[in-house]
Amino acid sequence: MNALPKRISKETERLVKEPVPGISAAPHDDNLRYFDVTIDGPTSSPYEGGTFKLELFLPEDYPMVPPKVRFLTKIYHPNIDRLGRICLDVLKSNWSPALQIRTILLSIQALLGAPNPDDPLANDVAQKWKEDEKTAIQTARDWTKEYAKA
Amino acid sequence: MKVKIKQWNAVSVWQWDVPNDEVCGICRVPFDGVCPVCKYPGDDCPLIIGKCAHSFHLHCLLKWLETETSKGLCPMCRQPFETADDAQQQQQVEETQRLHHHHRRTSEV
Repeated sequence: MNALPKRISKETERLVKEPVPGISAAPHDDNLRYFDVTIDGPTSSPYEGGTFKLELFLPEDYPMVPPKVRFLTKIYHPNIDRLGRICLDVLKSNWSPALQIRTILLSIQALLGAPNPDDPLANDVAQKWKEDEKTAIQTARDWTKEYAKA
Repeated sequence: MKVKIKQWNAVSVWQWDVPNDEVCGICRVPFDGVCPVCKYPGDDCPLIIGKCAHSFHLHCLLKWLETETSKGLCPMCRQPFETADDAQQQQQVEETQRLHHHHRRTSEV
Protein backbone atom coordinates (compact mmCIF):
# COMPACT_ATOMS: atom_id res chain seq x y z
CA MET A 1 0.00 0.00 0.00
CA ASN A 2 1.24 3.48 -0.86
CA ALA A 3 2.20 5.95 1.83
CA LEU A 4 -0.53 8.33 2.92
CA PRO A 5 -0.15 11.70 1.13
CA LYS A 6 0.80 14.62 3.38
CA ARG A 7 -2.36 16.43 2.48
CA ILE A 8 -4.51 13.64 3.94
CA SER A 9 -2.59 13.48 7.22
CA LYS A 10 -2.74 17.29 7.48
CA GLU A 11 -6.49 17.32 6.88
CA THR A 12 -7.06 14.53 9.40
CA GLU A 13 -4.97 16.27 12.03
CA ARG A 14 -6.91 19.49 11.65
CA LEU A 15 -10.29 17.71 11.66
CA VAL A 16 -9.40 16.17 15.02
CA LYS A 17 -7.72 19.26 16.55
CA GLU A 18 -10.14 21.90 15.31
CA PRO A 19 -13.40 20.08 14.64
CA VAL A 20 -16.22 21.84 12.82
CA PRO A 21 -19.16 22.46 15.20
CA GLY A 22 -21.81 19.79 14.72
CA ILE A 23 -19.54 17.60 12.60
CA SER A 24 -17.14 14.82 13.55
CA ALA A 25 -14.85 12.77 11.34
CA ALA A 26 -12.42 10.11 12.52
CA PRO A 27 -10.34 7.78 10.36
CA HIS A 28 -10.23 4.03 10.93
CA ASP A 29 -7.00 2.79 12.50
CA ASP A 30 -6.54 0.14 9.84
CA ASN A 31 -7.51 2.34 6.89
CA LEU A 32 -6.63 6.01 7.15
CA ARG A 33 -8.62 6.80 4.00
CA TYR A 34 -11.87 5.58 5.52
CA PHE A 35 -13.66 7.92 7.94
CA ASP A 36 -16.58 7.53 10.32
CA VAL A 37 -18.52 10.76 10.13
CA THR A 38 -21.40 12.26 12.08
CA ILE A 39 -23.35 15.38 11.16
CA ASP A 40 -25.87 17.04 13.46
CA GLY A 41 -29.09 18.14 11.79
CA PRO A 42 -29.13 21.96 11.39
CA THR A 43 -31.33 23.95 13.77
CA SER A 44 -34.77 24.91 12.43
CA SER A 45 -34.62 22.12 9.85
CA PRO A 46 -36.68 18.91 10.08
CA TYR A 47 -33.39 17.16 10.95
CA GLU A 48 -32.79 19.24 14.08
CA GLY A 49 -31.98 17.09 17.10
CA GLY A 50 -30.76 14.19 14.96
CA THR A 51 -27.21 12.91 14.64
CA PHE A 52 -26.62 11.33 11.25
CA LYS A 53 -23.91 8.78 10.59
CA LEU A 54 -22.05 8.79 7.28
CA GLU A 55 -19.07 7.02 5.77
CA LEU A 56 -16.41 8.88 3.81
CA PHE A 57 -13.72 7.33 1.66
CA LEU A 58 -10.78 9.07 -0.01
CA PRO A 59 -10.02 7.25 -3.30
CA GLU A 60 -6.43 6.66 -4.41
CA ASP A 61 -6.58 9.70 -6.73
CA TYR A 62 -7.86 12.11 -4.05
CA PRO A 63 -7.69 15.16 -4.25
CA MET A 64 -7.91 14.91 -8.05
CA VAL A 65 -11.24 13.14 -7.51
CA PRO A 66 -13.82 13.94 -4.81
CA PRO A 67 -14.26 11.88 -1.62
CA LYS A 68 -16.99 9.25 -1.73
CA VAL A 69 -19.59 10.03 0.91
CA ARG A 70 -22.76 8.17 1.87
CA PHE A 71 -25.36 8.44 4.63
CA LEU A 72 -25.56 5.35 6.83
CA THR A 73 -28.46 6.67 8.91
CA LYS A 74 -31.83 6.49 7.19
CA ILE A 75 -32.94 9.99 6.19
CA TYR A 76 -35.98 11.45 4.41
CA HIS A 77 -34.53 14.05 2.04
CA PRO A 78 -35.17 14.74 -1.69
CA ASN A 79 -31.45 14.77 -2.54
CA ILE A 80 -30.49 11.60 -0.64
CA ASP A 81 -31.67 8.21 -1.84
CA ARG A 82 -32.52 5.08 0.14
CA LEU A 83 -28.95 3.83 -0.19
CA GLY A 84 -27.70 7.03 1.41
CA ARG A 85 -26.19 8.35 -1.81
CA ILE A 86 -26.06 12.15 -1.96
CA CYS A 87 -26.87 14.38 -4.92
CA LEU A 88 -24.55 17.34 -4.47
CA ASP A 89 -22.70 19.16 -7.25
CA VAL A 90 -19.41 19.52 -5.36
CA LEU A 91 -19.30 15.74 -4.89
CA LYS A 92 -19.43 15.24 -8.65
CA SER A 93 -19.11 17.69 -11.52
CA ASN A 94 -18.21 20.71 -9.39
CA TRP A 95 -15.43 19.07 -7.38
CA SER A 96 -12.19 21.03 -7.08
CA PRO A 97 -8.98 19.96 -5.31
CA ALA A 98 -9.18 23.27 -3.46
CA LEU A 99 -12.11 21.75 -1.55
CA GLN A 100 -11.42 19.40 1.33
CA ILE A 101 -13.10 16.99 3.73
CA ARG A 102 -14.28 19.77 6.04
CA THR A 103 -15.77 21.93 3.29
CA ILE A 104 -17.53 18.92 1.79
CA LEU A 105 -19.06 17.96 5.14
CA LEU A 106 -20.18 21.57 5.65
CA SER A 107 -21.84 21.47 2.23
CA ILE A 108 -23.68 18.30 3.21
CA GLN A 109 -24.81 19.90 6.46
CA ALA A 110 -26.03 22.89 4.44
CA LEU A 111 -27.91 20.53 2.11
CA LEU A 112 -29.85 19.24 5.13
CA GLY A 113 -30.90 22.81 5.87
CA ALA A 114 -31.86 23.51 2.24
CA PRO A 115 -33.46 20.50 0.49
CA ASN A 116 -33.72 20.99 -3.26
CA PRO A 117 -36.63 18.96 -4.70
CA ASP A 118 -35.95 20.36 -8.20
CA ASP A 119 -32.73 18.37 -8.46
CA PRO A 120 -33.86 15.13 -6.88
CA LEU A 121 -32.10 11.85 -6.29
CA ALA A 122 -34.95 10.23 -4.39
CA ASN A 123 -37.79 10.82 -6.85
CA ASP A 124 -40.63 9.74 -4.57
CA VAL A 125 -39.43 12.00 -1.77
CA ALA A 126 -38.93 14.94 -4.12
CA GLN A 127 -42.40 14.52 -5.56
CA LYS A 128 -43.94 14.43 -2.10
CA TRP A 129 -41.88 17.50 -1.18
CA LYS A 130 -43.34 19.43 -4.11
CA GLU A 131 -46.93 18.22 -3.78
CA ASP A 132 -47.32 18.39 -0.02
CA GLU A 133 -44.35 20.05 1.63
CA LYS A 134 -45.96 20.12 5.06
CA THR A 135 -46.42 16.33 5.20
CA ALA A 136 -42.98 15.74 3.69
CA ILE A 137 -41.33 17.88 6.36
CA GLN A 138 -43.31 16.04 9.05
CA THR A 139 -42.11 12.69 7.66
CA ALA A 140 -38.53 13.99 7.69
CA ARG A 141 -39.05 14.96 11.35
CA ASP A 142 -40.52 11.56 12.20
CA TRP A 143 -37.63 9.73 10.52
CA THR A 144 -35.13 11.93 12.38
CA LYS A 145 -36.80 10.97 15.67
CA GLU A 146 -36.92 7.31 14.76
CA TYR A 147 -33.52 6.73 13.13
CA ALA A 148 -31.19 9.61 14.03
CA LYS A 149 -31.46 9.78 17.80
CA ALA A 150 -28.28 8.85 19.61
CA MET B 1 46.11 38.18 14.34
CA LYS B 2 46.46 36.80 10.89
CA VAL B 3 44.17 34.03 9.76
CA LYS B 4 44.87 31.78 6.88
CA ILE B 5 41.78 30.23 5.32
CA LYS B 6 42.52 26.68 4.34
CA GLN B 7 39.12 25.66 3.20
CA TRP B 8 35.62 27.07 3.08
CA ASN B 9 32.14 25.84 2.22
CA ALA B 10 29.58 28.16 0.71
CA VAL B 11 26.02 27.74 1.91
CA SER B 12 23.06 29.41 0.28
CA VAL B 13 19.30 29.43 0.67
CA TRP B 14 16.79 29.71 -2.13
CA GLN B 15 13.05 30.05 -2.30
CA TRP B 16 10.46 30.50 -4.99
CA ASP B 17 9.30 34.03 -5.58
CA VAL B 18 5.56 33.43 -5.32
CA PRO B 19 2.78 35.93 -4.77
CA ASN B 20 -0.05 35.18 -2.29
CA ASP B 21 -0.14 31.69 -0.83
CA GLU B 22 2.63 29.72 0.74
CA VAL B 23 1.24 26.27 0.08
CA CYS B 24 0.10 24.63 -3.13
CA GLY B 25 -3.71 24.78 -3.22
CA ILE B 26 -3.81 21.22 -4.52
CA CYS B 27 -1.39 19.14 -2.41
CA ARG B 28 -1.15 21.66 0.51
CA VAL B 29 2.62 21.25 0.66
CA PRO B 30 4.66 24.50 0.87
CA PHE B 31 5.84 25.77 -2.52
CA ASP B 32 9.42 25.38 -1.40
CA GLY B 33 8.70 21.70 -0.82
CA VAL B 34 7.84 19.14 -3.47
CA CYS B 35 4.67 17.82 -5.07
CA PRO B 36 3.64 14.33 -3.90
CA VAL B 37 5.49 12.70 -6.81
CA CYS B 38 8.88 14.44 -6.63
CA LYS B 39 11.77 13.87 -4.25
CA TYR B 40 13.83 17.04 -4.72
CA PRO B 41 12.56 20.62 -4.68
CA GLY B 42 13.76 23.22 -7.14
CA ASP B 43 13.95 23.05 -10.90
CA ASP B 44 12.82 19.40 -10.93
CA CYS B 45 9.52 20.34 -9.35
CA PRO B 46 8.71 23.83 -10.65
CA LEU B 47 5.76 26.09 -9.98
CA ILE B 48 3.23 27.46 -12.41
CA ILE B 49 1.49 30.81 -12.03
CA GLY B 50 -1.84 31.51 -13.69
CA LYS B 51 -3.18 34.71 -15.19
CA CYS B 52 -5.57 34.62 -12.24
CA ALA B 53 -2.46 34.89 -9.98
CA HIS B 54 -3.03 31.46 -8.39
CA SER B 55 0.08 29.30 -8.18
CA PHE B 56 0.58 25.54 -7.89
CA HIS B 57 3.26 22.92 -8.23
CA LEU B 58 3.33 22.37 -12.00
CA HIS B 59 2.91 18.60 -11.55
CA CYS B 60 -0.14 19.03 -9.29
CA LEU B 61 -1.84 21.39 -11.73
CA LEU B 62 -1.14 19.24 -14.81
CA LYS B 63 -2.60 16.21 -13.05
CA TRP B 64 -5.73 18.20 -12.24
CA LEU B 65 -6.11 19.62 -15.76
CA GLU B 66 -5.88 16.06 -17.13
CA THR B 67 -9.07 15.10 -15.29
CA GLU B 68 -12.41 15.54 -17.01
CA THR B 69 -13.91 17.20 -13.93
CA SER B 70 -11.40 20.04 -14.13
CA LYS B 71 -12.90 21.37 -17.39
CA GLY B 72 -9.62 23.25 -17.66
CA LEU B 73 -10.49 25.49 -14.72
CA CYS B 74 -8.31 26.85 -11.94
CA PRO B 75 -9.05 24.90 -8.72
CA MET B 76 -9.16 28.10 -6.66
CA CYS B 77 -11.26 30.52 -8.71
CA ARG B 78 -12.79 28.24 -11.39
CA GLN B 79 -11.71 30.53 -14.21
CA PRO B 80 -10.17 28.88 -17.28
CA PHE B 81 -6.56 28.29 -16.27
CA GLU B 82 -4.11 30.22 -18.42
CA THR B 83 -0.44 30.61 -17.72
CA ALA B 84 0.66 34.10 -16.86
CA ASP B 85 2.44 34.68 -20.15
CA ASP B 86 5.60 36.58 -20.84
CA ALA B 87 3.77 39.60 -22.19
CA GLN B 88 1.82 39.90 -18.97
CA GLN B 89 4.89 39.41 -16.84
CA GLN B 90 6.65 42.07 -18.89
CA GLN B 91 3.74 44.39 -18.25
CA GLN B 92 3.97 43.74 -14.53
CA VAL B 93 7.67 44.51 -14.59
CA GLU B 94 7.03 47.75 -16.47
CA GLU B 95 4.34 48.72 -14.01
CA THR B 96 6.67 48.15 -11.11
CA GLN B 97 9.33 50.20 -12.85
CA ARG B 98 6.88 52.98 -13.52
CA LEU B 99 5.83 52.97 -9.88
CA HIS B 100 9.46 53.15 -8.82
CA HIS B 101 10.07 55.93 -11.27
CA HIS B 102 7.02 57.81 -10.08
CA HIS B 103 8.08 57.30 -6.51
CA ARG B 104 11.52 58.65 -7.29
CA ARG B 105 10.12 61.73 -8.92
CA THR B 106 7.69 62.50 -6.13
CA SER B 107 10.41 62.11 -3.57
CA GLU B 108 12.58 64.54 -5.53
CA VAL B 109 9.88 67.22 -5.32
